[in-house]
Amino acid sequence: MHLTHLNTRGEANMVDVGDKQETRREAVASGRIVMQPETLTLLSDGQLPKGDVLATARIAGIQAAKRTHELIPLCHALALSKVSVEFEIDVAQSCVHVTSLCRLNGRTGVEMEALTAVSVACLTLYDMCKAVDKNMRIDAIQLDSKQGGQRGNYQRLSEQAPIVTGEGSAGEVSVSERCPSPCVCVKFLAELRERVGESETFVGLDTLSSRDIRGLKATLAARDSRYNLLADQRTLCAINQVMANDDALVTDNDEVAFFPPVTGG
Amino acid sequence: MDIKVAIQAAPFSMAYAYDEVLSERTDIGAVVSFTGLVRDFNETPDVTGLTLEHYPGMTERTLEAIGEQAGQRWALNAVRIIHRVGHMQPGDAIVRVLVASAHRREAFEACDFIMDYLKTQAPFWKKEHSAQGEYWVAERHSDQQDVARWKNI
Repeated sequence: MHLTHLNTRGEANMVDVGDKQETRREAVASGRIVMQPETLTLLSDGQLPKGDVLATARIAGIQAAKRTHELIPLCHALALSKVSVEFEIDVAQSCVHVTSLCRLNGRTGVEMEALTAVSVACLTLYDMCKAVDKNMRIDAIQLDSKQGGQRGNYQRLSEQAPIVTGEGSAGEVSVSERCPSPCVCVKFLAELRERVGESETFVGLDTLSSRDIRGLKATLAARDSRYNLLADQRTLCAINQVMANDDALVTDNDEVAFFPPVTGG
Repeated sequence: MDIKVAIQAAPFSMAYAYDEVLSERTDIGAVVSFTGLVRDFNETPDVTGLTLEHYPGMTERTLEAIGEQAGQRWALNAVRIIHRVGHMQPGDAIVRVLVASAHRREAFEACDFIMDYLKTQAPFWKKEHSAQGEYWVAERHSDQQDVARWKNI
């Protein structure tokens, strides 16, 4: 492994790509800008003083991709065949996700162009919204995938939580082995899992203020304020996959699941 | 009574369970089925897809119990319930309930009953994806009213 942008003396070096084969190259990069929920609402409603924020940021990102070689010292000027910049408004995380795809047939990769497009689109979003929100934060700018070139393809592994909860099958309650002393395994499903920020935790039976669901909720709430969500009237509970109320007793090795009202069908 | 329940990520056919339920028997006089589809509008006007999560184990047992309750209320020959989980697009079938009985009234009512209970008791959760982002679908008061109808009869 060596850095191609340094020569044998450690000096900056522009790689000679003249002898490289032309191949189809593609790179996808993404990032996000986190803002106050009120700012996000203004942005999606088109109510910000500087006008159509997303259209402006898209043009800025595309322009930036084309000028990457002027900004990054050892980048080659590339004749890009396609640049796209897309936005996804994420109400749950109060942010705008920015994704850029750059493509060309050429001798050098386009990941710097995609990363530059995302960076400048995020900066433009910041500029367009800063009159109402100075606490915005740009983060998670990263290469998601690239194709073509001599080092082959790259794909960032998804860090998203699994969609389906648990591994148990019909009629089977999965009991974890991570709990040596008497305890219950507590699962959080669907929206509650996202809001609590974890899919399961373990609570020792001896730590419960009372050995029922009410006591389990109180013990968790005392442990961390995130668990106050369990006190919500809408939150449902099942012990070993059977619906239960606050008075239901918990015993060693029980699987207790908390979840929001169901919305199937 | 013959109940079968399936939860799967893969799409299912519109003919699901029909031939299987009717094969080698002639005592069935009515088959009623309901198919639920992903709409392109719901809480927002431009739904681009949805992701369905469930609670493996509890889901199957809940659906079987709902089928059994229907079998106790009406004279039924067979109940089939299939529900998809994971990612789906507008137009995709999410759920199919098929009820077979000797006479149509039982089959119509039992199918309606099963869907009302499925929507309010089975542990499924929908997250909708739209141009404005993604969000968890809220429960509907009307579903609770629908299921309450069966408690007064």
